[in-house]
Amino acid sequence: MLRFYFALWAAKLAAWILKLRGQERNDWPGLLAIKLCPDFLARVRKPALVIAVTGTNGKGTTAALISNRLEAEGRTVSFNDWGANLSAGFALNLMRCVNVFNRPVKDASVLEADERTLDVTMGQIQPDYILVTNLAKDSLRRNAHPEFIFDILDRTFSILGGNTTAILNANDPISSQLACNCKRVFFGVGDIHTHPYESRAMDITVCPRCGGPIYYHSRLYRQFGDFYCPDCDFKTPEAKYFVTAADLAAGQMTVSEEGQEQVYPLISDTVFHLSNVLAFVALMRELGTSREALAEFLQAQQVTRFRETCVEYDGVRYYTYAAKGQNVSAASTVFEYLAAEPSRKVLVLVMDELQDRNHATETLTWLYETDFELLNSPNIQQIVVGGHMCLNHRLRLLLAGVPEERLVCIEDESRIPDYVKVDGAERVYVLFEVDFPTKARNIRDAIIEAQKGRKQP
Amino acid sequence: MKKIELLFPELCNLYGESYNITYLQRCCPEEIQIIETNHRDRPAFASGDVDMVYLGCMTERKQEMVLSALRDYKTRFRELIDKNVLFLVTGNAVELFGREIRDGERAIEGLGLFDFYSVRNRKGERHNSQFIGVWDDLTLLGHKSQFSFSYGDFAESFIHIQRGIGMNPDTDREGIQVNNFFATYSLGPFLILNPRFTKRLLERLGLAPRLCFEKEIMEAYDYRLAELTKALPLYKGGDKRS
Repeated sequence: MLRFYFALWAAKLAAWILKLRGQERNDWPGLLAIKLCPDFLARVRKPALVIAVTGTNGKGTTAALISNRLEAEGRTVSFNDWGANLSAGFALNLMRCVNVFNRPVKDASVLEADERTLDVTMGQIQPDYILVTNLAKDSLRRNAHPEFIFDILDRTFSILGGNTTAILNANDPISSQLACNCKRVFFGVGDIHTHPYESRAMDITVCPRCGGPIYYHSRLYRQFGDFYCPDCDFKTPEAKYFVTAADLAAGQMTVSEEGQEQVYPLISDTVFHLSNVLAFVALMRELGTSREALAEFLQAQQVTRFRETCVEYDGVRYYTYAAKGQNVSAASTVFEYLAAEPSRKVLVLVMDELQDRNHATETLTWLYETDFELLNSPNIQQIVVGGHMCLNHRLRLLLAGVPEERLVCIEDESRIPDYVKVDGAERVYVLFEVDFPTKARNIRDAIIEAQKGRKQP
Repeated sequence: MKKIELLFPELCNLYGESYNITYLQRCCPEEIQIIETNHRDRPAFASGDVDMVYLGCMTERKQEMVLSALRDYKTRFRELIDKNVLFLVTGNAVELFGREIRDGERAIEGLGLFDFYSVRNRKGERHNSQFIGVWDDLTLLGHKSQFSFSYGDFAESFIHIQRGIGMNPDTDREGIQVNNFFATYSLGPFLILNPRFTKRLLERLGLAPRLCFEKEIMEAYDYRLAELTKALPLYKGGDKRS
């Protein structure tokens, strides 16, 4: 116990010093706490409510909505919104929930949790809820494949047993099969006529129970939808929170909950964010927040700023948009959205994982799993690819059928603005690897500056 | 018309492997017919003539499903290899052709066509690396991302590793080659990564060695080779052949 208190005090002191230096988001104090006391996560006392949000995509957005709502209800919340979603981030998050005597001083902890190490951390933390947004293909280097991550999450729920409620996505043929020994609450979407494209990025293609084919009554995007196996009883679980209708353009969905319907605003016009908002609604309803209060709260919410920003200049909207290079599912979903969204647009792809540059593990496998074919769309008038992988991107885009005259390939990203042709476009999207929002904004701003330069006589 | 059998794409396309065959057909669209075989169906190679068989990477659980689907054809595999039929096997599909896959206390029986075994370690760190190696007079590139390694003497190896590792960290022998049977741990689109090898493969199929987007794929290969040559250290393991 002495070691725990020493770790807590040392970590709090380190956090205080970092705060004085304006580095509150540095998770080093959490790392220190775990170094000094390896079972720190188990020993630190928890606030009355602990919620973990995990999954391949959408966990940051969903966790932010939950944290914002809890604070709007007047609760004090600790939320690791600085992207540290491993044990050090959890330790810092939970350390902020207690005083130096290890007594809780906050009402709730919201943990955005990386799925790769969940079995190690959550057994110690014992959260009240684990919300799983979805499970899909992510970086092969770290996450291998969804079946591997499924096993980690399933082991986590086995460890936690009946103490934790699982909030699960009924439309996901992978993660909906989790947590059979826990209390499970499903959220799901019916046929909302999304008319998805065919996708090569299907993370599950055979029934996990009998090896048969997987069919869909309706599909939302990629493998998500109302699925079933014709040869056994594998099918979409019944959802307690079920979207019966949605108007993405108008930004609203109708959710049926035990016979009662409520219209909720959406935070964007994408079906994947609809799923995130639905997950948020399901969790908050389980906590007892009224439907009306949630609907009113959602009116003022939007997608987390670092993932999507927009600036308008001379009638053209310039976006930065997180797409996650090497994450097949995220990139394919974004590509589908950009193809379906009707405005004429220019795409700038700067999706290299810079940490991997010249690293012995960088791969190009993801290019051939991702739906680049969707970018061969008449509303995409130009695609500019930058970075050291640009020759591989160019080849993939050509194989995907994108006409050569629409492609520009530049290794030196600083020269991208010279080649962007905005004439006739309504929007310009800079698609960036999620860890580099500032770089994306700088490129976006440089493109605008270049356009201004061309306007001047 | 050349017949290429793509085995079990619903299971064995973990990292975009099926694009190897898509690309071959893009190179010779009028001369290649692709036969896609589901794991529940009888493979075309089992009873008829095919010119090439491809098997790609899969999850560890699916390895056992695929072994069940292929176990009856062990003799046929040997017969086709002896007849110089082309095989390309990539990623952890190579492990199926060894004696067994060890997973903790379990031993999963392989097809036993070659004398080696594999050891799986899903609880350990995943191995990620790339390699540069030599086959014939060509320099080949490869990706690895795996939970397992294979062990044996690999007298019939495919690639001689120069940078990176072979079938395990202590050997510079990568993959298996017997006649026209080529197997490598390299995953994903191996033929996109190695356009010069793809040309040789087309020649061995009796087709003209012309590539789809040849200029672009060669430029990407040359750039990547130069980049990886700078990034990867020379192999310094213990099993030097020369």
